[in-house]
Parts: sequence; C-alpha cells; structure tokens
Amino acid sequence: MQVTETLNEGLKREFKVVVTAAQLEQQMMARLTELGASANIRGFRRGKVPITHLRKLYGKSVMAEVVQKTVEDTSQQALAEKEVKPAYQPEIGMTEDEDEIGSIIDGKADLSYTMSFEVVPPIDIQEFSDLQVERHVVNVEDEHIDTALESIATQYKDFQARADGAKSEDGDRVTISFVGRVNGEEFEGGKAEDVPLELGSNSFIPGFEEQLVGVKAGDERTVKVSFPDDYSVDTLAGKPAVFDVNVSAVEEPKEATIDDEFAQKLGLENLEKLREGVTQRISEEFGEMSKLKLKRDMLDALDKAYSFELPAKLVDAEFNQIWAALTAEMEKEKRSFEDEDTTEDEAREEYKSIAERRVRLGLVLGTIGEQAEVTVTDEELERALIERARQFQGQEKQVYDFYRNNPNAMVELRGPIFEQKVVDHIAEKASIGEKTVTRDELVHMLEHEDHDHDHDAGEDKAAKKARPAKKATAKKSAAKKAPAKKKTAKKAAKSKDD
Amino acid sequence: MNPEKVYDVIVSPAITEKSTMMSENNQVMFNVARSASKPKIKKAVETLFDVKVKSVNTLVRKGKVKRFRGVHGKQNDVKKAIVTLEEGYSIDVTTGL
Repeated sequence: MQVTETLNEGLKREFKVVVTAAQLEQQMMARLTELGASANIRGFRRGKVPITHLRKLYGKSVMAEVVQKTVEDTSQQALAEKEVKPAYQPEIGMTEDEDEIGSIIDGKADLSYTMSFEVVPPIDIQEFSDLQVERHVVNVEDEHIDTALESIATQYKDFQARADGAKSEDGDRVTISFVGRVNGEEFEGGKAEDVPLELGSNSFIPGFEEQLVGVKAGDERTVKVSFPDDYSVDTLAGKPAVFDVNVSAVEEPKEATIDDEFAQKLGLENLEKLREGVTQRISEEFGEMSKLKLKRDMLDALDKAYSFELPAKLVDAEFNQIWAALTAEMEKEKRSFEDEDTTEDEAREEYKSIAERRVRLGLVLGTIGEQAEVTVTDEELERALIERARQFQGQEKQVYDFYRNNPNAMVELRGPIFEQKVVDHIAEKASIGEKTVTRDELVHMLEHEDHDHDHDAGEDKAAKKARPAKKATAKKSAAKKAPAKKKTAKKAAKSKDD
Repeated sequence: MNPEKVYDVIVSPAITEKSTMMSENNQVMFNVARSASKPKIKKAVETLFDVKVKSVNTLVRKGKVKRFRGVHGKQNDVKKAIVTLEEGYSIDVTTGL
C-alpha cells in the first residue's frame, strides 16, 4: 500500500492510495480458501471444491468484496500512517471508468483511489478557571408556593350542580353527548357520550364552547362550527360541521379552599405536608433552571473563548440539517420568511452562524471530554432511555424497543449525556460565582436569550407543555382542538439544537 | 453436423470433483444422450467447441431403483462421455455452454 499526500491546504487533506494487484490477489485467494472450506456445490463434497473452480465461479464477486474491504482497511491504515484525525468519514473517490474497474476486478490492474477529508482542527484546551460564569440561584419563597398551590387548586376544582333549570355560564362544566356531521355525514371521532366539558377552557374547536353558554340540563342544541384551517386531521380542516349536542348536566365551579381537607383529597396527610411537597418540587424545578442557565452560559463562554478554523463540511452538514428541518416546518405551517420578518438570505446567514457555533462547541466539548476521559456508562444510557420512553405515554414499550434495536438512535441519546457530563466536568474546575436572582428574572433570561441554542431547553419546555395538555385532553375526540402550535418555525429549529 | 443436432448428442457438461481432476489430463466429461455413439460425440464436441478430439470413452451409469411408499421406481440411466482432447486444445465448460 502506498499513500501519497496530494493536497494539504488549511484543514483539507487529500491522499492517493495505491494497492497493488498482487496484494489484492493474495487477499482474494485467502478469502476463496476460506469460502472453499464450507462451500457446498453440486458435484463436490462439502469443502472439497478446488480453488481454481471456485475462482471461476465466484472470482468476480469475491474480488469486488475484497476491493471494498481493502478500501476500508487501507483508508484507516493511511490515516494511522499519516497520523491525522479526520473530522468526519473521509470521502473515497474511485475511478468511474467501467473498463478500469473491470480490470481491477480481474486482478490485472492496481487498485488506486483518492480519499479527501478535513482534519480536526488542533484545539488548545484553555484553563477552565479562566471561564467566568455565574450560577443563578433562586430561593424558594412563600409566594411561589402559594401560586403553585393555587394552580393545583384550580386543576382540582370542584363542581356542584346548578339549580334545576339554571342556565350555564362561562366557566361552568357541562356534561354533553354529541354527534358531529360534516356535509350531513358523521365522521370519525366526532361522536362521544357524557363528556365533561369546561366552558371557556378552549379544549374543543373554537366557537363550540361559546355556543353552549346558556344551556340547561336536558337541553338539546345544534352547534354549528367550522374546523380551523390548520386542524390536525386533513380531511376535516376548514370544513363546516354541525354537532347535535345533548346536555345532561350543568355544574358551576366551587371555590376551592386550600386547607387540610384539600390536602387530604390529594392523598396527603395535611396542608403542612402538601406545602412541603410543593416546596421540594419547586426547588427542584429552580435547580433545573439554574443548571440549564449555567450550561448555556458556559457554552456561550466556551464559544467566545475558542476560535479556530472549522471543517467546512461539518458546518455545511449541520447547516443543511437545520435548514431542512426549518423549511419542512415552515412548509407544514404554511409560513414564509416574510412572516418572520426576515428574508431567506438573512435567515441563511443566521442559521449558518448557529451551525458554526454548534460545530465549534461540539469539537471543543468533544476534545475536553476526551482529555478528561469522560465516558457515558450503559447505566446512564439506560436511565436516559427510560426517561425518553416515559415521554411517550402509552407507547413506552415501543419507544424502548425502538431505541434498543437501533444503535443509531442510541447514539442520539448518548450525545446530550456526554455533553452534560463534560459541562459538569468543566463546572467543577471553572470558577463559578453565585448570584441570587428572582424566579421571574431567571425565566426571563432563559426565554429571551438571543442565542437560545440549547437542546435541552427546547425539549424541557416542550415536555412541560405537553404534560398538562395531555391531562386535559385525555379523552380523545376529533372535535377537540389540536394543541395550538405556538412554536414558531424558528423555535422548532432551535429545539433540535444541541 | 447440423449445429442444432449437436445438442441432441451432448446434454450438458458434468462438473464434479472427478471431472475437474480429469481436466489436468486434458479430458472433459459430458453427460450425453443414451443413443449417442462415440463417433457422434466426437463430431459434436469438435463442431461445438472448435477443438480436435483424440478419443472418446463412454460409460452408462445405471439408474438406481428407488422405492417410495412401497411403489417401485427407477431413476433414469445416464450416459457419460469422457473426451480426451488433442494436445494444445482446451474447453472451459465451467462458465456454461
């Protein structure tokens, strides 16, 4: 094997590798002998097929296999020999000429190919103590607990039946049975019985609940609404529908008082215990938030601290990925760049810099992690997997199996864990100041940071949003409004970020 | 000999351990029709592969008697021809006729 460097420019390298026909021949013979030992061909006893015969039969395909394997092996060897570390899988360039390929396969010509790639830029890891980051700490105050308790109270609010013949008001809960029709035909999911519906909760399609204000128990109503244009079921989107609604009960909300009784209803001993639980939950939440903020600040600091030439291919790949996700999202939501107050070129520019940042941080974190010998254990991976599976309620098993049987998907899980561990590692070494802030300030900082490129950020938010929403819409019905997609295309792209 | 009739004489090449061993001695083995005679085989091989044949030996392998659920059956007999080629000629039958 001969390796010659044909290009050495910036980060780009190109090698030309030549493997002689004799070497290939030798490899092929070895492979044929191996095959011959177990080949079962008509007219021959197992393993007694002469190599010359095998070669006549399978020579071509074995050679193709050998060539492929040789390319793989020698490209690795070439990298080791030249002592370079490619930033990605090198691109192998083979001759396109059929005759030439044919003569290589026939073992007459030498195999030669070029491999082009970019090397990992040399990164000098700086002292972590030079990093200036602050941990933003939020203390849990009574006020927070009170608001949390109140929100629990509204979730578990009681209803009591209105007096006979009383009309429903906004905020009441009505129990209804309904049959929906589009163009006089019933559609799937448009029928339900004895569904409790809170008026004004906006859980059904717009206009539905408003028309039920002022009904009495036992009333029959015809509700005419049209599905919103962006309704999740394509066949129904934008169509007018008629619902025949039977009201079986009208209940008014009862003010919930936060006392021991309320705590007992939630399955706790008394109010004291409830407060304790809430306090713990809130402080955990704050802890998560400040951790997130710290991570983001640290990434920002790292981004600033390191500047080096980036492998263009990696940046391009990253950019294309973001761009594809973004355009797909916009296509789906039928938005244009004008809606976002930018032009395509501006957006391209912006995402290009995001891509560069990601690649840079990825390389820096990777190098630091490597030097600090950060590894992701199977145990941690397992935990992350279970966590991920939990996000898909009702399909935990499928999700779990999908990841188990899919090594690529596992890599995806591994990334964030590795990142977090490296960040933790840096946090241990870096000089971190503490600063007490209020909750609102921290939330504000997290939400309005201009470069909110964090993977976890988007996911956490999405997860938090999704959970309460799921509770509210546990009983599935097509009449219900699809969870409003408030995420802009931009945010969606960022949530994929890491 | 008529080119189509060649295939009425020669059925197929016989590719076996023994036949590959024979190829060392410049011999080729064919399965031939039961009715084929040595001169016919010689002629057929010469027209088909454009070679000179030195000699032809034949053998008939008798079919075995097989019993299936008590019913007697007999496998077909197979006639084989071992063709020795003149010096300097060769046939590559492994790639098919």
